[in-house]
Amino acid sequence: MNDPISTFKLFGLTFNIGNMVSVTVAAVFVFLFVFICSRKLQVIPSGKQNLLEMIVDFTNGIVNTSVEGAKAKVYGLFAFVLFVFIFISNQMGLLFQIDYNGVAYVKSPTSDPIVTLTLAAITLAWAHFAGVSKLGFKDYFSSTYLKPFKLWLPLNVFEELANFLTLGLRLYGNIFAGELLLGLLSKIALGYGVMGYVPSVLVAMVWEAFSIFIGSVQAFVFVTLTFVYISQKIQPEE
Amino acid sequence: MLSHSLLPTVAVTDGGGLYYGNMIFTALVFIILMILIMKFAWKPLSEMMEKRANKIADDINSAEKSRKDAEDLAKQREDALAKSREDATDIINNAKQSAQVQSDQIITTARNDAQSIKTSAQKDIEQERKDALANTKNDVANLSIEIASKIIQKELKADDQKALIDSYIEGLGKQDAR
Repeated sequence: MNDPISTFKLFGLTFNIGNMVSVTVAAVFVFLFVFICSRKLQVIPSGKQNLLEMIVDFTNGIVNTSVEGAKAKVYGLFAFVLFVFIFISNQMGLLFQIDYNGVAYVKSPTSDPIVTLTLAAITLAWAHFAGVSKLGFKDYFSSTYLKPFKLWLPLNVFEELANFLTLGLRLYGNIFAGELLLGLLSKIALGYGVMGYVPSVLVAMVWEAFSIFIGSVQAFVFVTLTFVYISQKIQPEE
Repeated sequence: MLSHSLLPTVAVTDGGGLYYGNMIFTALVFIILMILIMKFAWKPLSEMMEKRANKIADDINSAEKSRKDAEDLAKQREDALAKSREDATDIINNAKQSAQVQSDQIITTARNDAQSIKTSAQKDIEQERKDALANTKNDVANLSIEIASKIIQKELKADDQKALIDSYIEGLGKQDAR
């Protein structure tokens, strides 16, 4: 957390340039990937279209386990974009990290708590919005905060806050730890000559593989939890 | 001071402060990304997948239909085959029956004909034998009369002589029958 960052202030808000660049680069990657894969769509799919449809089927599967029927179609796009964005963001920092004057400008956007908490906020905002629009504000309020009985209100409020924090910080922690260890390994590799270089390269290879796995699993977990929360909000609890 | 308030100044810090501005930025980027993907990829892809689902359903339905048609056709043909086989059996049976009847008739007729021919032949033979016997009787009677009249030169009554001959002939007939 204490790596130097470059910031500027606008409208009284602080902006982190490196973070913005990372998010933008990740978004561009996601868009290019999806855009290229969705050219020349055919009824009988082949190659890149198959890959895209596989991902769409995967995310639709996540949505369908939590949200039923017609509603699922509305959330399909959100699940797809969320999954691909987080997945590519997680892997980005493993592939490259661009520093300038000691400030990291391109890394995994998801290794920053602000980004992951923003995604969690989008998710939960949508979940609460869906709850209100489905049940009406009164039923939404009572089913979210006054169950199983009215005295539970403080605990329910705390639970909503905990949902927000755990959803964002789980992703951040996993990715940040992966990048941190990779950074440490690269420092060992460069600082201690051949004695440090050989073992740290071997360990780094293992850790890279593990991080790819972790990044994929975290993308899946994030999207799954997103739809668990949404389904909790749109179905009044029994 | 004026430029400082209009243009944001870039500062390198040690990362201590929180940058809430990035939340707005990230949310904006994410929403724009979602809109772009919806426009360029999601809609055409969903349409294509729906089209494919429809096509597969159609194909399955039409395959089911043609399978049913083929089944019906096969059943029809089987029925026709069974019917023609039945017809053939009937025809053969009829032919066999009429042939039997005809042959029976022919045999009966032949037997009757043979019987009548045999009967008439027997009758003819009997008649001829009787005729021949009668002729012989007369001939012998006359001849013996002549012979007797010639030999003994004495008159004899024809009727007495005839009775004598009759008794003789009867003895001949008994010898024949034995």
